[in-house]
Amino acid sequence: MLIDFIQQIFNGLVVGSIYTLIALGLTTIFGIFGIAHFAHGSVAMFGGYLTYFLISALGIGLLPSFILAMAAGALLGIVLERVAYYPVRNAPPINSFIIALGLTLIIEKLNLLAFGVDQVIIPTPLVNVINVGGVTMPELRIYVLAIAAILVIGMTLLIQRTWIGMAVRAVAQNRAAAVLMGINVNSVSMFVFALSSALGVAAGVLVGALFAVAPGVSSGLVIKGFAVLILGGLGSIPGAIVGGMLLGVSEAFAAAFVSSAYKDVISFLLMILVLLVRPEGLMRRSSR
Amino acid sequence: MKRLLGAVLSTALIGTPGAFAAEKTLTIGYSDALTGGGAVYGVPQKKAIDLAIEEINGAGGIKVGADNYKIKTIEYDDKADSTEATNVARKLIDRDDVKFILGYCCSASGGAMASFIGREDVIVLVGTAGARSITSLGNKNVFRTRPPGDYTGAAAGKFIAQQGVKTLGILAVRDVALFTQYRDSLVKAFEEAGGKVVAIETFGGQDRDMTAQLTKLRGLNPDALFVSGYVEQVAFSHRQASELGIKTQRYGFSGGSAEQFTKVATAEQMNGAWDLLAIEFNADVLGPKAVAFVDRYKKKYNENPTPNTAYAYDQVYVLRDALQAAQTTTDMKKIQETIRALPIPKEALLKYLPVNGRMFDDKGQAYIANGAFQWKNGNWAFVKELPSDAAAYSNFLKTIKD
Repeated sequence: MLIDFIQQIFNGLVVGSIYTLIALGLTTIFGIFGIAHFAHGSVAMFGGYLTYFLISALGIGLLPSFILAMAAGALLGIVLERVAYYPVRNAPPINSFIIALGLTLIIEKLNLLAFGVDQVIIPTPLVNVINVGGVTMPELRIYVLAIAAILVIGMTLLIQRTWIGMAVRAVAQNRAAAVLMGINVNSVSMFVFALSSALGVAAGVLVGALFAVAPGVSSGLVIKGFAVLILGGLGSIPGAIVGGMLLGVSEAFAAAFVSSAYKDVISFLLMILVLLVRPEGLMRRSSR
Repeated sequence: MKRLLGAVLSTALIGTPGAFAAEKTLTIGYSDALTGGGAVYGVPQKKAIDLAIEEINGAGGIKVGADNYKIKTIEYDDKADSTEATNVARKLIDRDDVKFILGYCCSASGGAMASFIGREDVIVLVGTAGARSITSLGNKNVFRTRPPGDYTGAAAGKFIAQQGVKTLGILAVRDVALFTQYRDSLVKAFEEAGGKVVAIETFGGQDRDMTAQLTKLRGLNPDALFVSGYVEQVAFSHRQASELGIKTQRYGFSGGSAEQFTKVATAEQMNGAWDLLAIEFNADVLGPKAVAFVDRYKKKYNENPTPNTAYAYDQVYVLRDALQAAQTTTDMKKIQETIRALPIPKEALLKYLPVNGRMFDDKGQAYIANGAFQWKNGNWAFVKELPSDAAAYSNFLKTIKD
């Protein structure tokens, strides 16, 4: 029983780490622009497809492909910001909302056109399984957890310890004051989109290696990402980390101890509960 | 003179059709998934139909009275979608005025068609679509070669119990009619044979992570696992079960090829797994007629036929035999009755189990044998035929309407 309990926590953390990566991108973009960037899941899938293409068609190694895809994701993020969101930055919020919906469709269909309808699994050489006292941990899942952890820590350091990170936080706190302090809001917004999209691509690659990249996966990811945002608090980075892990583990527990048919229902019940009891999210101070 | 010449010419022209009256064209409609997710079944099915038509036309066509009918098709893509399939059927009936429709790879498109086609004056010969309602609704004008899921499920439940399995853990897709009907009848047959199901865990259409459910099943420690759903999800379940160190016997139902499975799981992870399904097209099991079909199919399309190709191929020969036996192409009632009394066409590839000596039962359903396949050395190997009671299932099908 204890072994199963620990196994379920491990199962949940692996999936939760992917939710966290998705949510981090969503939450930073939301924190700065107040945009619900629905196309984020499609950007993630684009990254998964691209990595697969680099590996299978061009014969590039897994790690270089991963890094190249993240770079391409960052570039795509900048293009999206410039072409889609920048022109409506001063318009009513409904404009960017509709643009977000349109972008989702456009990127999703472009993925279909470029990469086809078949599901794609990113090949990895990681097939070993480590058994610790009955708890089985496939190598690939350990790598997924580790890569997610490195990216999350890297992102936190970037936001907390660097000049550009400080600028991002300043714009999130008070845009007008940040402008007055001489921060170039344009470059901050491009930076945020680049960073978020690169993280999204990383999530897409991990999903592609662990499960599969396929049409329809992106909408599921983005829904889970927003659920994490509500759990952790909109715009909160620690909230995205805690919320992602919490969602992953609660889904695993729901399937294990309640019913697999209600797995998704229970995670959304949790979300509703948070909205009722602590609407600002688990990790945000209510004063703001 | 001019007038005379005109009269001669027109007589000659009028006379012409009479002189070649033997050559006529029979236009049939075709509705299937040619793009989208269902295309993996729809496209090969269409190729098989085209091949059968080519063979029949090449052999002189369908002989009805003094006439020789060559078959021509009008085809539309229904995307395995219920709305599209309804539109396609309406187009074929109202605009193209066809009397016979072939195709239907998938439950959603086939089910939508079956929901209204009973009121139309056409005959539909369904191929691969598996939802029970396609025939259980009892339309007089619908005939299907693929047996419903629960027919095979019953045979599978009995087989698992015969293998000495006392307790069974189930992991299955929760919302696809073909699979839920199969699962329910498997559970019933398994429990009637004295077995006990310890848990039924489910997953949704987009799920690819079954570790939570499998961890739970691992904790319950049943004698065997049963996994059913579309190929990819079943392959993920086998992979994750193996990663979780589950060593018990694994049974399943999905009907995927070895290539489809090894895209997801390694050959070692699949080792020893079973697939319990109707014996679809399989050249190793079905003998020389099937081997010859593979040759012809490969020659025409430069690829191997998929397991579902034979369902629709056989239906084209059903149509030929029925029209030749009924000696009409327009009296739909007579043709329906003829199909209902039809013996199995000699060109048919699958091993049908006739009910009362006829290919189709009263609800227009045909039956084939079920089989057990096991993964050995990187591929599915046929192990044995499962005892399948077509007559009993046909009696059960009479009693239901969903």
